[in-house]
Amino acid sequence: MGGFRLLAHTADMGIEATAASLEGVFIEAARGLRSIIFGETPIAATREVPVEVRGADSGELLVGWLSEILYLFEVHGLAPADFVVDEITGGTLRGKVKGESFDPSRHPVEREVKAITYHQLNVAKDAAGWWARLYVDL
Amino acid sequence: MTVKIQQIDDCRWRIPREGDMRTEGLVFADKRMIAALQQEQALEQVRNVATLPGIVGPSMAMPDIHWGYGFPIGGVAAFDAEEGVVSPGGVGYDINCGVRLLRSALSAADIRPVLARLADTLFRNVPAGVGSQRRDLKISVSEERKVLEQGAAWAVSRGFGNAEDLDHIEARGTLPGADPELVSDRALERGRAQLGTLGSGNHFLEVQEVEHIFDPAVADVLGLFAGQVTVSIHTGSRGLGYQVCDDYLKLMLQASRKYGIALPDRQLCCAPLTSPEGRQYLAAMAGAANFAFANRQIITSWVRESFEQILALSPAELRLSVIYDVCHNIAKMETHEFEGKKRRLCIHRKGATRAFAPGHPETPELYRTVGQPVLIPGDMGRYSYVLVGTQGAMEETFGSTCHGAGRMLSRHAAKKVARGHNIEAELAARGILIRAAGRATVAEEISEAYKDVANVVEVVQRAGIGKIVARLRPLAVIKG
Repeated sequence: MGGFRLLAHTADMGIEATAASLEGVFIEAARGLRSIIFGETPIAATREVPVEVRGADSGELLVGWLSEILYLFEVHGLAPADFVVDEITGGTLRGKVKGESFDPSRHPVEREVKAITYHQLNVAKDAAGWWARLYVDL
Repeated sequence: MTVKIQQIDDCRWRIPREGDMRTEGLVFADKRMIAALQQEQALEQVRNVATLPGIVGPSMAMPDIHWGYGFPIGGVAAFDAEEGVVSPGGVGYDINCGVRLLRSALSAADIRPVLARLADTLFRNVPAGVGSQRRDLKISVSEERKVLEQGAAWAVSRGFGNAEDLDHIEARGTLPGADPELVSDRALERGRAQLGTLGSGNHFLEVQEVEHIFDPAVADVLGLFAGQVTVSIHTGSRGLGYQVCDDYLKLMLQASRKYGIALPDRQLCCAPLTSPEGRQYLAAMAGAANFAFANRQIITSWVRESFEQILALSPAELRLSVIYDVCHNIAKMETHEFEGKKRRLCIHRKGATRAFAPGHPETPELYRTVGQPVLIPGDMGRYSYVLVGTQGAMEETFGSTCHGAGRMLSRHAAKKVARGHNIEAELAARGILIRAAGRATVAEEISEAYKDVANVVEVVQRAGIGKIVARLRPLAVIKG
């Protein structure tokens, strides 16, 4: 199991992610974000940047994690290819963003994401595994 | 959850006070709009805003209301300066997203032969889309702090446009009280490379033609005539504003807990206006708003250069001057008369425009007899409107009115409608040239994705909270 799907919203877009573990659901949500920005454009994982974020609960951690990916792209030009979440403990997430230097000619952007929101934010566990939903501001 | 709604007249609807609501909701809309609204959560959001402490008057929504984050888009809410709160969710991520309108001495016929070249040049000179920036505009951190303090005046001091431009900008392009020290390094970092950029999504730069004048006397005062070329710039504070909002949402989540403010939705987090957190947000927000004013001022200068380049005319011949520049995502301290008393209020306008009546001291002298110009962009395939503020808006909406068309279709749905169409070719056949940076932009921004802005301004005029002056149709559209 596991994966993500994009959710329709009148003005913006959402991501619904599922995985067997909490770490996995954070990775799937990040893949959803990459898909909103770049569609299916292939991006190579030639660089790796460590990430550490804090949050009061798993929802705030998820917003923090995705905001960090957005920041690395926008300010440091890291086009994201894939993601690693090493651990989520005591309100801290440690992970890595893998990708390559953003090159608009090879990485055409589909949409600019302004921010990750708290709107209908939810991270939960049920019998089938972990599940998360969030919306991004476009 | 269904929201109770009662019709007051043909353009007003009341959400009666119940449960935790401190006041009632008031929605400006026609019957069809209300039916569509009941499919989404926007009305629930109007009701949620009514639960916040210190709200004065109803929690309001303009006819372009749609589902936002925390506050609905199209939301207007006033909070008492002593008892009330300020909420970053009541302003939005794109702080001081707004519209600027330029008039010219040209007629559409003058530019028709060079329109494609003009569109290409504007697209080249004004960076649009992610990661795009001008190499000749690099600013240091200390310079960026000045942008935050001074707004459009900073841009003028660096040679972008002229001092007269400032006379025709809301708040003269500088919100007072901005404190760059309260803006995070990360926000400054995100903003630095994005000053003088359009952005993407619904932001645009449009060359337009005045298609119809509804009120010749007012149009004359605004310097508008039928067939005239105008230019609209719709953008905001870019990554800097998004980051300020993000940073302060985190602070406000803590502040809401600290001050015991019950939140029906996390995105409504807020702090008392008198608290350190509330004051800090307003000072950071003012900085982001000033960044946006500077951004539109810089782009104006590049628009002028592009016209001069392609038409080989001097600035005096082109006369590309600012009609007005409005914010439509902002919180401002204003004095309004409410129930017979003058009150100091923090007016949140999220996807709503200030619309001060004739005679208001904050309206530029040139327009004081007709009211503050209000600029309402539509979609890229139809038209935009110019309105002026009214006494009705002063009395009922704290001097506020609508801000645009409002989306109707999700991006998924818009893409589905666009499938099988060559949107650019279809628009070109109707005399509208599109230049877009983003791959998905054109399909997702099709006319069908938006409400017809004509219906929105019609409701506003019928309700007396805005007066229609002119309709502008696009000739060339630059999108991110």
